[in-house]
Amino acid sequence: MTASPVQRRPLSDRAADLFLSDYFILYMSLTFVAVLAPFLPTLVTPGNAVNVMSNMWPLLIVAIGQTFVLAIAGIDLSQGSVIAVTSVIGAALVTLVADPVVLSKAPLWGVMITENGGPLAGVTGGVFVAICVMIALAALIGLINGLAIAVLEMPAFMVTLVSMMTVSALAIYLTQSENIAQLPEGYVRLGKGDLVSVYFGVKDTSQLPRKEVFSLITYPMVIAVVMAIGAHILLNRTVFGRQVLAIGMNRKAAKISGVPVRRVIVLVFVVSSICAAIGGLLYSARLEAGRPTLGEGTFLLDVIGAAVIGGTSLFGGKAKILWTVFGVFFFVLLSSALSAMNLSAFQVDMVKGAVILGAALLDVLRTRIMRERTR
Amino acid sequence: MKLMRTTATLALLAAGTSLATGAQAATICFAFQDLETEFWVAGHKAITTTLTEAGHTVLEKNANEDANKQLEQVRDCIAQGVDGIIVIPQDGESAVTIVKEAQAADTPIAIFNRPPTDLSKGIIVVADNATIAEAATDYVIGEAMAKAPADAKLNAVIIVGDLGDPNAVGRRDGFMAAVAKQADRINVIEVASEWDAATALANLEAAVTANPQIDLMFTSSDFLFPTIRSVLEPRGMWKKAGEEGHIPLAGLDGDATACKLIKEGYVSATGVQDLYFEAESALNAILKAVEDGNAQANEVIPDPGFALTQANLAEREMDMWGCVLLAEGFLDQ
Repeated sequence: MTASPVQRRPLSDRAADLFLSDYFILYMSLTFVAVLAPFLPTLVTPGNAVNVMSNMWPLLIVAIGQTFVLAIAGIDLSQGSVIAVTSVIGAALVTLVADPVVLSKAPLWGVMITENGGPLAGVTGGVFVAICVMIALAALIGLINGLAIAVLEMPAFMVTLVSMMTVSALAIYLTQSENIAQLPEGYVRLGKGDLVSVYFGVKDTSQLPRKEVFSLITYPMVIAVVMAIGAHILLNRTVFGRQVLAIGMNRKAAKISGVPVRRVIVLVFVVSSICAAIGGLLYSARLEAGRPTLGEGTFLLDVIGAAVIGGTSLFGGKAKILWTVFGVFFFVLLSSALSAMNLSAFQVDMVKGAVILGAALLDVLRTRIMRERTR
Repeated sequence: MKLMRTTATLALLAAGTSLATGAQAATICFAFQDLETEFWVAGHKAITTTLTEAGHTVLEKNANEDANKQLEQVRDCIAQGVDGIIVIPQDGESAVTIVKEAQAADTPIAIFNRPPTDLSKGIIVVADNATIAEAATDYVIGEAMAKAPADAKLNAVIIVGDLGDPNAVGRRDGFMAAVAKQADRINVIEVASEWDAATALANLEAAVTANPQIDLMFTSSDFLFPTIRSVLEPRGMWKKAGEEGHIPLAGLDGDATACKLIKEGYVSATGVQDLYFEAESALNAILKAVEDGNAQANEVIPDPGFALTQANLAEREMDMWGCVLLAEGFLDQ
């Protein structure tokens, strides 16, 4: 018996396989590092790797929420404002002391904050309760967004744009634009606490000898990884996840097939808001203050950009949490590389914008290739 | 005038020369929150030019008014192995976090002009805002009281900055200290600006509409003078000293616009931060920390400042950085 000759597939087919692979962005990220590393050695230093990871975790959590929304062909522009308002409320609940000179004109003064801090200052389990309140508030905002979109059939863009404006304004109003600092250690540790760190000895490339202690496993990492795994199971291994993708592919068909479209849409926006609140918790914890301006500026560009770069389709129906993980990784890596090149903030944003546009074009190309393959 | 300008430039260059000889070439990260006012533009130029001309490498990071981005940029600088960091922070709270981050990584750090809420850590160069503001306010109160009837109650407006910034708090304290000397004669109207011209415009419009009789005004930063003008001018309240309806105005910073307005007679006084002294002090301190191997350098360097008024304009004009820039044609660019 002779073995049948192995039929070699054309190079174009194999390239298309790679392009359509779940790991395409990961390969691209590794190639990106390999190409730039000789010119930007900082990129592969342990210190930079720790920075990339540290910047990645909160963004990943917010992007996971956005992935669910994109999967139903929606968009959630209110995530930044949810971050702002929940960080303010969370900080107001647990702050240990407040300065009347700074905060006495804030509507929260006397109601929630006094010179002795927030109502949960120094209370055992106070941080946990504050986090629950932040999540509940976020869920409420998500619920309102979802109901307006699903029940009133208003466009997600318009609803979440209005949410963004009103909730941001509320955050600024509550503190009159002031930050709420003096947060308890338990809260701050969630944003930058280490569970495991590694000591590399003394580095002497700079003029001063420097301790080389690097965070290996951090609280944000644990929170983000647990959330990513949970979200992966929810989106790709449950009936709910299949309903989400079905709505994104064809809302009418999903409805005819018995998918509870309205309920799923509402839940998706609740998930998105909760993810924003938890990401915001990490951001405010690492900045050691509740900030009504958190999540402003180009933050949403980063969130949506990371999800789209990963491969989540803007047209809906195509999303994986793994893609978002890789997309966020690439996006943060890109920011780090651009920063190491000493480009200005404006140049960095321009490059990021171009990369997101490129990712959107790749999405179109991928969809076309997949359609041709299924014929 | 030209001599004075040349002297100021030479002073900075001389400082640069001493920095170059005092320490080996260093890589300094200069992270700033934005360059939205004349003060920050001039401060940025003074720091980068002096460091570069002294042979040091400057890594510039503009956070675009995003505290989170600034934290990430400072971390990037530390990963890049810079020898020292100079920061203009977004606010006092984020400054505390950034100083902690840098010192934990054994990197000396200096905070330029906008101090952390905790002054015990890092090299902090800060103006004595309260004293400077009090001096400028004293002058306009004196002017307003001189032309008011003896028993008249005066309305004094203060445009307050972002009270999360200790500079804004100090300036408000200085204003209040001056007002307290005439507490029975002066009614204070506070207008919030949050260091934002649009916010200041809206709030000042409302305040002036509600209180048409304004007897004196103090702005916590000179960059708001154009905003004040756009509110007062349509109401016929933007007048030069000596003209009917003139409102004594005072500010703080000492920028080129304030200098021009003082010379024209619209503004009566402004508190001056010595920008060049502050820039030079920050640079000297950070490079000394690098040279001494002192990663945990903690020092507060006060800038005493002064008030430039219509009364001392002739003698002290060129002590104000904004007047130096004005003479160089800064506002014509």
